[in-house]
Amino acid sequence: MATLGLWQAATLGGHPEFVLSPAEIAGHFAAALRSGELLPHVGASLLRSLPGFVLGSAIGVALGLLAGVARSADQMLSPVVFLTYPVPKIVFLPIVMLWIGIGDASKIVIIALACFYPCFINAYYGARSTPTIMVWASLNMGARRLQVFRKIVVPSALPLVFAGLRVSLALSFILLFSTEMINARSGLGFLIRQSESSLRFDLMYVSIVAVAALGYASDQLLLLARRRVLAWQAATTR
Amino acid sequence: MTRSLVMGVLRRLSLVLAGLTVWELVARSGLFSPIIVPSLARIGRELWFLATSAGSLVEVWQSLFRGLSGFALAAAVGVTLGVVMGRSAVAAAFLSPIFSGTYPIPKIALFPIFIYLFGIGSLAKVVLVFLECLYPIVVTTHAGSRAVNRVLLWSAANMGASRGRIVARVVVPAAAPFIFAGLRIALPIAMIVVIITEMISSADGLGYLVMYSLASFKTDRMLAAVVVISLLGLALDRLVVGLRDRLVFWERLDSYYAE
Repeated sequence: MATLGLWQAATLGGHPEFVLSPAEIAGHFAAALRSGELLPHVGASLLRSLPGFVLGSAIGVALGLLAGVARSADQMLSPVVFLTYPVPKIVFLPIVMLWIGIGDASKIVIIALACFYPCFINAYYGARSTPTIMVWASLNMGARRLQVFRKIVVPSALPLVFAGLRVSLALSFILLFSTEMINARSGLGFLIRQSESSLRFDLMYVSIVAVAALGYASDQLLLLARRRVLAWQAATTR
Repeated sequence: MTRSLVMGVLRRLSLVLAGLTVWELVARSGLFSPIIVPSLARIGRELWFLATSAGSLVEVWQSLFRGLSGFALAAAVGVTLGVVMGRSAVAAAFLSPIFSGTYPIPKIALFPIFIYLFGIGSLAKVVLVFLECLYPIVVTTHAGSRAVNRVLLWSAANMGASRGRIVARVVVPAAAPFIFAGLRIALPIAMIVVIITEMISSADGLGYLVMYSLASFKTDRMLAAVVVISLLGLALDRLVVGLRDRLVFWERLDSYYAE
């Protein structure tokens, strides 16, 4: 709040045209919403980031859990994943573009690829940190392997899985906007670039605010989902 | 004994080897043009060219310089802020809402503004790297310095240690595993941001090299640049891990993320 106030105060005394005051941005935001300049681009961005995030994190969690419980999968997958983890995934965008075209599919693949890693690593450690005593106890009581997996391993891995999902979500937004800035004909990243190069700073700020709002809203949604799913965890750790 | 060891190593490498073999077979089969799938030999040749020509080493240096200076700044400021937030209720009340409120916002969206504020050169990129790296470092350092064992703090204070001495001798060492976890998250982010910003607007650096090679249909050179970027990311990560194992020898934090 203080930052916003300072910003507003600083811009009151006159400012270069590429800096807008918060009040002006709010005004332009409402105008852009009404004129329909903004919403199609928001839709286009979401249509890229959501499938990428869902695909990448679903595969990541599934393989991570598998590698966490099965030694042969662990030996095959983990070295590859941990070796390629520090590689910035965005460098694969040009290659993927060559293979499957410049459209949405290549962006979705890159976003999915980036979301895969945090989910895999967290699910892996989550599954591995399952208390051994619980597994023994349930086996002793006659649970089958699948039951152990569903009733013991998955719940105890869930807190870490959610931590991974949160990292992936943030990453999916970073990659969405950078892929859109590099090449796209729609979406918020495109809108930022286009309005920047046509000196429409009002629209540029509006789309930046929209990006921030989207990032914030989806993060809150994820936290809400975690509170629903992990209600038992909050109850036991408090 | 040796046989099972060999089998273990083979199984560990199997996916990598299979991937490379399939790649080479597809490249040799002639189904796709060498522009789309260049053979490993051609990528290797370009890699050799990149490693031996002075010009490309300058590009590598540009990217490294941007990434590491932003990262170093973020590490210095982030650790300081995190420790202060962890040890002072006033600072936490003041700073914590700012960080948690802006945490999920993709900072990359601010890049166009930074270009206007700091020019299109290295400064805008370094500032963006700094900003993106700052968050994970602050968050993990904050968590680490809050989780310091209270008994240690009490006994240090009881033995007459001043506040500054407690921070330097107790809080920072106790938070070190968390700090390194934060650094390890931040370092790949630094590389990502450098490459992205160089792809979007730059005339030098590895990200630019990738885009330029793509635009001139030199996919073998582009893939060689991708290999270089990957190796850099890997080497930097190993460096942080090595440093952590030297400095934080008393605790092996076997996880990538600290909660």
